[in-house]
Amino acid sequence: MKTDVTLKIAGAAGQGIQTIGDLLSEVCHQSGLFIFSVDDFESRVRGGHNFNLLRISDKELAAPGNRLDILVCINENAYDLHKEELRSGGIAIVNAEKPGTRNKTRFEIPLKKLAEEAGNKITANTVAAGAVLAILGTPFTLLADVLKNRFAAKGEKIATLNVAAAKKGFDAAKDLSRNTGFTWEAKKSHNIVLSGAQAAALGALAADCRFFPFYPMSPATGVISNVIPYTEKLCVVVEQAEDEIAAVMMAIGASFAGVRAMTATSGGGFCLMTEGLGLAAMTETPLVIVNAQRPGPATGLPTRTGQADLLFSIHASQDEFPRFVFAPGTPVETYETMKRAFHLAEKYQVPAIVLLDQFLANSRVTEKNSLTVAPDIERFYEQNNSGNDDTPYLRYALAQDGVSPQRLPCSGPGLVRVTGNEHDPEGHISENAANKIAMTQKRAAKLPAMIKEMDPPLLVNPTARVLLVGWGSTRGNILEAVERLGDQSMEIGAVLFKDLWPMDRKAIGKVLDNKQLIMVEQNESSQLGRLLAQEAGIVSFDTILKYDGRPFFPDYIVQKAKELVK
Amino acid sequence: MITSKEFNCNYENKWCPGCGNFQILAAMKNAFAQQQIPPEKLTLISGIGQAGKTPHFLKCNMFHGLHGRALPLATGTKIANNDLTVVVNCGDGDCYGEGGNHFLAAIRRNIDMTLLVHNNQIYGLTKGQASPTSSLGMVTKLQNSGTPSSQFSALVIALAAGAGFVARGLSAESGHLTELIVKAMNYKGFALVDILQPCVSFNKINTLSWYKERAYKLADTDHDPRDLAKAFNLAQEWEKSLPLGVLYEAAGTPFHERVPNLKANALASHNYDSKLLTDVLLQNL
Repeated sequence: MKTDVTLKIAGAAGQGIQTIGDLLSEVCHQSGLFIFSVDDFESRVRGGHNFNLLRISDKELAAPGNRLDILVCINENAYDLHKEELRSGGIAIVNAEKPGTRNKTRFEIPLKKLAEEAGNKITANTVAAGAVLAILGTPFTLLADVLKNRFAAKGEKIATLNVAAAKKGFDAAKDLSRNTGFTWEAKKSHNIVLSGAQAAALGALAADCRFFPFYPMSPATGVISNVIPYTEKLCVVVEQAEDEIAAVMMAIGASFAGVRAMTATSGGGFCLMTEGLGLAAMTETPLVIVNAQRPGPATGLPTRTGQADLLFSIHASQDEFPRFVFAPGTPVETYETMKRAFHLAEKYQVPAIVLLDQFLANSRVTEKNSLTVAPDIERFYEQNNSGNDDTPYLRYALAQDGVSPQRLPCSGPGLVRVTGNEHDPEGHISENAANKIAMTQKRAAKLPAMIKEMDPPLLVNPTARVLLVGWGSTRGNILEAVERLGDQSMEIGAVLFKDLWPMDRKAIGKVLDNKQLIMVEQNESSQLGRLLAQEAGIVSFDTILKYDGRPFFPDYIVQKAKELVK
Repeated sequence: MITSKEFNCNYENKWCPGCGNFQILAAMKNAFAQQQIPPEKLTLISGIGQAGKTPHFLKCNMFHGLHGRALPLATGTKIANNDLTVVVNCGDGDCYGEGGNHFLAAIRRNIDMTLLVHNNQIYGLTKGQASPTSSLGMVTKLQNSGTPSSQFSALVIALAAGAGFVARGLSAESGHLTELIVKAMNYKGFALVDILQPCVSFNKINTLSWYKERAYKLADTDHDPRDLAKAFNLAQEWEKSLPLGVLYEAAGTPFHERVPNLKANALASHNYDSKLLTDVLLQNL
């Protein structure tokens, strides 16, 4: 039987919500427990209303929780907003001026006052963490050790102060301690806690990406800021471009010179990058772009989540050209996908787009640590050892499989000529009709091999009559929903896409044939449903769609699926 | 011994007869030959327009990119491999219009490369619309009551943005232009050479004789290119006189010396190091 607790820490921006969440997560991680931590915040730096939603279990978690065991309210407003989410038996810890109500459902605690008693009011968040862990039945030593570690760099005085503050909170709540069923002990864990943004950065670095030109945009900035800690030890460069157009152009320019480069952005920035996408395609220069999706056209909801750029990513930029589109579902999958994206972009000389979203990019999840760095990486550049007036190097030689030998400029006698105009094999502008046909076909000829590179979707109970179908970050929510529906004796399966484009129509068509399909997506029109109708010939499908900018919860999918199953 | 002939290539030229671009091309070849840079050690990066086609018309490695985007492309190439010799060819609409933001950013970054702007004050390839450097009121087929925007003064703006090397050439003064290109390429940092040129097809105002009547060489004056205030004044001369030569030159720190990870070696020169990556990325997770 798995033990499963969900907490919400809510208050205004700038009140240290995330600090408390991170502290609790760290204590859980050090005890070998699994977490799923989601941040919900507004596009503002101070004020407003933010929360951290933290689910803790002794088994691996695929999705966040939504029924609260503990609600931590840094202000009274938070209590009003979230009290209905408490499950029966749940408790609200409410920050107050002085000690007040204290019963099984509401516990008022003067965080600031206790922090002052401990030595400094800035430790109010640590007081709160102490109180929460007391209620969860955590031994105080576990929290003390985490605090000592965390504040070690800031000196013993600060560490001691925080331990004292934590003790204040802990003692104040000790008698409200409940048996959560967890085994609390310091345990060396083989698991890792990663966010999608962090995993994307690590995956890119592991793929030998050395250049990260970018323009700041939520929720993609985290991908690049997670590279920064490594710039001291690894020879990589992060450059803030003047705009997203420049960012993508710089990545293409670096790739032309043989250095793996990527940029990360969100939908609005990706709009600006589409001309770069076309240039990479036409010049057949490898390119990796992360699009961390957020909802809405234009500015939309900057700090919220959505999955409405699937069809845009598949079609972005004018005319037609092959590209890869991936949508990993977990941080570890994001790491692996980034490595593959660089490998495949270079192998086929095409753009690769990796779709994340705010939910995946920002959520921190415990997973089994399967991250590896390859002993060697395959590079796809030809030696530049020939080429003269009579027999020039042909950058765009009409190769049968569409992949012409790529060389680096200034690496030998062969002149590397690249242009965004339609070009002849040598790389010079050509308006010849037969050449246009040949070059279009050459680029398209890469597709059969590219399709073979695509991993099939993850299938869960594929023989079930009803299949939930999703892509990207909804993966965990769907998996948990399927499990729970199965527990209720419903015959239901799932098809979960990670590799989206190009698509193996026949193989996917077979999986989906003669089933009741329920598309589970975070957009309004069921973009994957429409894509599968176009590619795999599915005729009809039901939908569970959510486009309020907030992530799915398994509860919601379970409830909607029950209504839809015929 | 590399001569300018070695840069000749067989690819058919697509410019109009009489275009100033031919003289700019000749000056480029002479400048490369003077520096003994062989075609295979030269990377030209260009935008779109008649100027953007330049790299096709000589032997070199090249990236003929998109309208306005030559500078960020070249920036990426140089950040990846600072050992490459990169020269950028753009037109006035390309660099100062579509690519205006990149122009400012490139100056501020001070990447060690040379920008040649073929400035004929008109859009040639799209057949004669006003460009940012067209004079206020210039009548074109599209701006039939005269262009309503005032003229973009690239030299003034480059100086204001902090450019360390700002020069102006004239296509018809090919020998002088060769010298300017050599100086620009030898400058350690971002070097701008704005090259005035006639457009025989579409610019009937700023003709070769219009330029020649006004042009004079700074080398014949007592101008000291270290004098920024004087350079600003010179950059503002237009209707009556056009100074040619190096308006301003001052040593600065190029981008690759500002960025710690670019100081020692080019990014492209490092080998993949599995052990280092494992230690740095995975050890402390």
